Amino acid sequence: MTNKRYAIVLDTRKCIDCKACTVACKAENGVPIGRDNYRNWVTTEKLRGTYPNLGQSFTPGQCMQCGNTPCNHVCPTKATGVNPDGLVTVEEKKCIGCKYCMTACPYNARYYNEETKAVDKCTFCAHRIYAGGLPACVETCPTKVRVFGDLNDPNSEVSRLLAKHPSRVIKPEMGTKPFLFYLM
Amino acid sequence: MTTLTALANSFGSMATIARRPREIVWFGGLSLGVLAGLAAVVYTLVVGHEHAYNVSREIPWGILISTYVFFVVSSTGLCLVSSLGDVWGFEKFEIIGRRGHLLAILTLVTGFGAIAMELNHPIRMGIYAVISPNFASAIWWMGALYGTYLILLSIEFTSLMEGWRRAAYISGLLGFIAAVSAHSNLGAVFGFLEARHYWYGPYMPIYFILSALVSGGAITPLIVYFNHKARDRQLSTKYREFMDAIGKLQAMFLGILMFFTTWKVISGLYGQPPGKYEATMALIAGPLAINFWFFEVLLGMLIPFIILMNRYTRTVTGVAMAGVSTLIGIFFMRYDLVIVGQLVPMREDSGELVDGLLHYTPSLAEAAIVVGAICLCLLLYSAAEKIFDLEGGHRHK
Amino acid sequence: MSRLLDNKLSRRRFLGLSSCALATVVVGSQVKVLRALAKSGEVGDLTRLPDKSVFTSCEMCVNKCGVIARVRNGVIYKLDPNPDYIKSRDMLCARGNAGIKAMYDPDRLKYPLIREGKRGEGKWRRASWEEALDLVAKNLTELGEKYTRAGTMFLSTEGFQEHFFLMLAECYGSPNTVRHPTLCLASNIQGFGATFGTNPTPDVLNADYIIMSGANRAEAFITPDTIDLLKGDGGRRKLVYLDPRFTKTSAKADEWYPIKAGTDMAFILALIHVIVTESLYDRGFIETMTVGFDQLAVHIEPYTPEWAAAECDIPAADIRRIAREFAAAAPKAVYYQGRRSSFFSNDTQMRRAMAILNAIAGNWDVPGGMIPNGKIKLAEHVYIAPWYDDIPDRLDQGSVTYLSAKDGAWLHFRDRVLAAEPYPVKGMMIYKQNPLQAAPNRAKTLQMMEQMEFICTIDITMSDTAWYSDVVLPEATYLERMDPVESLPGILPVLSLRYQCAEPLFESKPNLWIMQQIAKRLDEEVFESFDYTIEEFVDHQLSNNPAAKQMLEEKGVYYESPTPVYRSSYGKPLRTKSGKIEIYSEKYAENGLDPLPVYTAPEAPPAGRYRLLVGRHAYFTHGTTQNNPWLHDLMPENTLWLNTQEAKKLGLKHGRMVQVKSPVGVQTLKLEVTEKIRPDCVYMAHGFGVLSRGLTNIYGKGACDAALIEDKACPISGNAAMHETFVEISPA
Ligand SMILES: Nc1nc2c(c(=O)[nH]1)N[C@H]1C(S)=C(S)[C@@H](COP(=O)(O)OP(=O)(O)OC[C@H]3O[C@@H](n4cnc5c(=O)[nH]c(N)nc54)[C@H](O)[C@@H]3O)O[C@H]1N2
Ligand SMILES: Nc1nc2c(c(=O)[nH]1)N[C@H]1C(S)=C(S)[C@@H](COP(=O)(O)OP(=O)(O)OC[C@H]3O[C@@H](n4cnc5c(=O)[nH]c(N)nc54)[C@H](O)[C@@H]3O)O[C@H]1N2
Ligand code: SF4
Ligand code: SF4
Ligand code: SF4
Ligand code: SF4
Ligand code: SF4
Ligand SMILES: [Mo]
Repeated sequence: MTNKRYAIVLDTRKCIDCKACTVACKAENGVPIGRDNYRNWVTTEKLRGTYPNLGQSFTPGQCMQCGNTPCNHVCPTKATGVNPDGLVTVEEKKCIGCKYCMTACPYNARYYNEETKAVDKCTFCAHRIYAGGLPACVETCPTKVRVFGDLNDPNSEVSRLLAKHPSRVIKPEMGTKPFLFYLM
Repeated sequence: MTTLTALANSFGSMATIARRPREIVWFGGLSLGVLAGLAAVVYTLVVGHEHAYNVSREIPWGILISTYVFFVVSSTGLCLVSSLGDVWGFEKFEIIGRRGHLLAILTLVTGFGAIAMELNHPIRMGIYAVISPNFASAIWWMGALYGTYLILLSIEFTSLMEGWRRAAYISGLLGFIAAVSAHSNLGAVFGFLEARHYWYGPYMPIYFILSALVSGGAITPLIVYFNHKARDRQLSTKYREFMDAIGKLQAMFLGILMFFTTWKVISGLYGQPPGKYEATMALIAGPLAINFWFFEVLLGMLIPFIILMNRYTRTVTGVAMAGVSTLIGIFFMRYDLVIVGQLVPMREDSGELVDGLLHYTPSLAEAAIVVGAICLCLLLYSAAEKIFDLEGGHRHK
Repeated sequence: MSRLLDNKLSRRRFLGLSSCALATVVVGSQVKVLRALAKSGEVGDLTRLPDKSVFTSCEMCVNKCGVIARVRNGVIYKLDPNPDYIKSRDMLCARGNAGIKAMYDPDRLKYPLIREGKRGEGKWRRASWEEALDLVAKNLTELGEKYTRAGTMFLSTEGFQEHFFLMLAECYGSPNTVRHPTLCLASNIQGFGATFGTNPTPDVLNADYIIMSGANRAEAFITPDTIDLLKGDGGRRKLVYLDPRFTKTSAKADEWYPIKAGTDMAFILALIHVIVTESLYDRGFIETMTVGFDQLAVHIEPYTPEWAAAECDIPAADIRRIAREFAAAAPKAVYYQGRRSSFFSNDTQMRRAMAILNAIAGNWDVPGGMIPNGKIKLAEHVYIAPWYDDIPDRLDQGSVTYLSAKDGAWLHFRDRVLAAEPYPVKGMMIYKQNPLQAAPNRAKTLQMMEQMEFICTIDITMSDTAWYSDVVLPEATYLERMDPVESLPGILPVLSLRYQCAEPLFESKPNLWIMQQIAKRLDEEVFESFDYTIEEFVDHQLSNNPAAKQMLEEKGVYYESPTPVYRSSYGKPLRTKSGKIEIYSEKYAENGLDPLPVYTAPEAPPAGRYRLLVGRHAYFTHGTTQNNPWLHDLMPENTLWLNTQEAKKLGLKHGRMVQVKSPVGVQTLKLEVTEKIRPDCVYMAHGFGVLSRGLTNIYGKGACDAALIEDKACPISGNAAMHETFVEISPA
């Protein structure tokens, strides 16, 4: 666990905005119903052009498991923590609900979960990956937009994809060092 | 101890507090406000924040946070201005010492109440802020510094009441330092958020201290005014002098604040800095424009500044009216500051956008809690006036 | 379980439940039971892992993707895709993931219900199974005596337990089974069948060139096509997409043409014209495998790209280029037919044109071409239905040229019921079909139901159809029952088996049990055909394939080959009259139909009116999953799509309520002003504007397309023509 660095690489060209990832995450992680409650999302980019010359892209996202982690810095009680493998976590019982982390996150990746009574966010499905599985959203995706793996392993698919294709991160200017990489 | 005796006696004298009809109206009205707030608190506790408040995933901090900021800014301002007397030796300000510090305590406590209603788990905070502190977190420091500040304020107030000059001086000095640290740190709570371009940067801590001074400069003359004019009492010379002095001082504070505000707006527009520009535009020409131009600029700064600059309008009533005007303006300043920093969405499609911006209007419950908080603070202060001997501020001299 | 069930309850406890008429009798008691269940089903930390995993297959739509149900303390908390299930290639869509909520849904059916008030009034009485089943049997018997056994119609739609329902119809003695195909794909089957002897599957994974028209594969999921379409092979593949709407498929296509609705045949004929006149076809293939090419060459002459351009709003130059590209890529090129073909009344002939284009490209049964479906054999279920000698022909006999005796022709059947011609039908048994949403002209369906003496619906939720029934029987959801093995045909044929993942909640029962109970009450002879357990039934189905049984147990799926088998049809006669691919259809000629597809232009929308289009939404299955809490969360109501320019003309603003009026109905919904649709069309997602107050999330939301669509149909196949309705729009 300590010598790993988990990441997700996405090929958004394959995304059809079917929201299977969103519903899978709801099921796997008990994310409550309601517009504010989700750990991952699919951004429907603005329609380009006018009829009949139109274009549209869809960009899925979730917590970027930032390497430089603003939500972690601001949390007064260390409810938000970072695992050695880079996974950013929230320890429910320590969360005071100040929502400082929510204002600190440049990706709007967090929400307050009224059921667990704590701030909640994507954990890369830590419980699944530690048991050898894949994150629920990665696995369920019809077109396999997301690829999950260990960046410290040069032979992992994520490493190979990043070696082969140019990629970008979202809001690099924030200096958050996100670990969600979007293939270009 | 006189303080405790006074407290004990107060229960006995409660019945006699509201003697005159005008006071009955005053206390009755405030009680109603407090009840409305209480009702909203109960409702919120029953249905949960999610249903009671209009804060959202995108705008997690609402009017309760700005109310909290409003009260703690007031508290800091009161502390700073009333310390001018017993800490810094400006004699004219000594007469406001007791009242100023008392109200500083009350506003701080009210502020804590407001944020407790915004926080989901104030109790967890008590536990984990101690056993699992994160020293990198401005909110942790905020809790620590304001906690210290409250203790020091209480000591100072007791000392003033008891006439322990040395203690008053030391606790006053420490309180002053705590106030400045706590308050600039509160600015840093916002200023550290790189994601929120409008807030981000070193401007916030300085701005917070400055606006605290303005708050103090607005509230202290009001205290004096309501203890005299409003109760048909004559002002002693000392009080008249105080009013004139604070009026002049406040004019200066306002001048600096206007200077700051102008540059904040200009730097938000110049070169259209991403995020900051959109927020600034929201403030000056968008959904918050009325708040900004009418309340913040006109009521909060321009009108009081004009009143205070003019020798003929800087009367006791004038200074007080300028204070009222400023105070209303400041409430909107706090509201706008907290909200505008969150209006620019972190993701294009998060939330329902109007002209590319998120929107927030306080819910009825949130508004009622704010009203309740304001009424509670006034009620407590009015009651304290009845219970404690606050006039003695300069008698110990 | 608390969290699974409670989400909605806690949010709506105060609001919704008490306000509906259903409340006191049905929902009121449901809430108590759900609460009790939530308490007893001890659920701890949801981040823990499953204690049991069960293979099943998804029944949220027709695709039946492979599922592994993750179970903890007897509660299914997650459905994961089955990576070995080659048909669905390790995926579950949003609906598949939301399957749990079909089971743990406070709105699900829980007990047998008997109607108390008027039909559709929503006054129900909870009944024991005993009482409800007795009532069904009594009515079936009485109706049989009064109107003959043909006097009861049996409506059903595909599903692994549908077999038992169809058996009941047969054993009871009614010829009148009315299934979904004529609302769905009958003209596709007919058009392709008349050409190839079968309705083949395009090999999407291996095709280099795909023209897709009238099939929105990125939203209307067909596995594995949806997956394969986008997985692609590094940009080598080209997708040309024709749709009057800008769909998610448009967003993914290399070229999108907003074709004028109903003119696809003009486009196809022009492609054929170019390919034939420029001799781009596969001569060898045509000579050995087809009949009628010469007639085609003559027939096609007038259909030039210039002519087609004027018909379908696609530039002639593009048509010409696409024809050449298509021919160049052949045989790894397919003209992808949709699944639903309930579009226009000339639909069968349009599908014929598609089939012919594919045929002359020679893309038959080779990688990247049109592949005849493989199917894995199961041991047949042999049973003897009792013989009744007073049973007349099907009610809709002779209504269309090619009538399926098993499926019937939905709209024609309904007309004949209403006319009581040639005989009255007064009873309705319904299994897993929701005609009040699925069949065009809802008012007419209601009329038909109104004249029924008895209606019984077997469903899992209070659908509109159930709402208008006399007896509602709660079936256990697919996660709560073991189902028969199903042989799913395709390029990668599989056997699929559902193991029971959890105990049925409340008093819901598998359909086999329900059918057994009804059969028992009808008479001993009928019951004989039902006298086995589901395990025995499955054992029998697999009795001659022990390998299948083992693989199903180990992997939750059985296949003979993990990769496609091509050319299996070569050297054997096809199932057409000539044994070859019939470009020219002798059979059609004999029946007085055009032996080669002749183009007729669709009626143009009259001034001030718009063509109403029908189409899938990725979050919903037909009119049935809109109420599912997780899917409802994604899209709480439907809107009317109207082109920006038209909205401007009408002075209608985005987001306002509008009234949509067709010759058969009026509906009100929110307007969505968008660039994503042709100016002469409007569109709304299917499945809203429900009548049933038992669907608490969506009752009162959006509008129902079925209430607006006129009941026109294709005279050859009987397939409904759902895109021939014009509507007026006005401020509401
Ligand atoms: N998510 C989801 N997937 C499903 C289903 C579901 O309910 N939900 N249902 C399943 C079933 S039963 C079926 S039959 C299939 C149906 O799958 P499809 O055959 O793909 O059917 P539709 O979604 O009806 O797609 C029809 C498309 O044709 C467009 N269209 C309308 N008129 C014309 C026209 O004249 N010409 C052209 N070129 N296009 C036109 C419509 O705008 C629409 O986008 O989907 C299956 N998959
Ligand atoms: N306006 C319009 N009409 C259409 C279409 C359209 O796009 N628009 N599409 C057409 C097409 S292609 C088709 S295939 C048809 C489909 O229409 P239908 O044949 O009616 O099929 P569904 O709507 O999928 O499901 C019918 C019922 O089955 C129930 N059900 C689901 N699972 C189970 C189960 O396990 N057991 C039981 N007993 N019931 C269950 C559902 O609750 C629902 O009430 O609709 C057609 N009609
Ligand atoms: S499941 Fe995959 S294709 Fe569907 S929305 Fe999510 S990322 Fe996009
Ligand atoms: S994306 Fe947001 S929540 Fe996730 S690690 Fe980065 S800052 Fe924290
Ligand atoms: S809301 Fe919870 S996790 Fe976020 S900063 Fe506050 S205590 Fe930490
Ligand atoms: S990795 Fe897991 S927790 Fe994160 S978005 Fe995907 S499903 Fe949700
Ligand atoms: S496509 Fe979706 S709903 Fe249909 S069977 Fe597959 S997972 Fe289930
Ligand atoms: Mo269908």
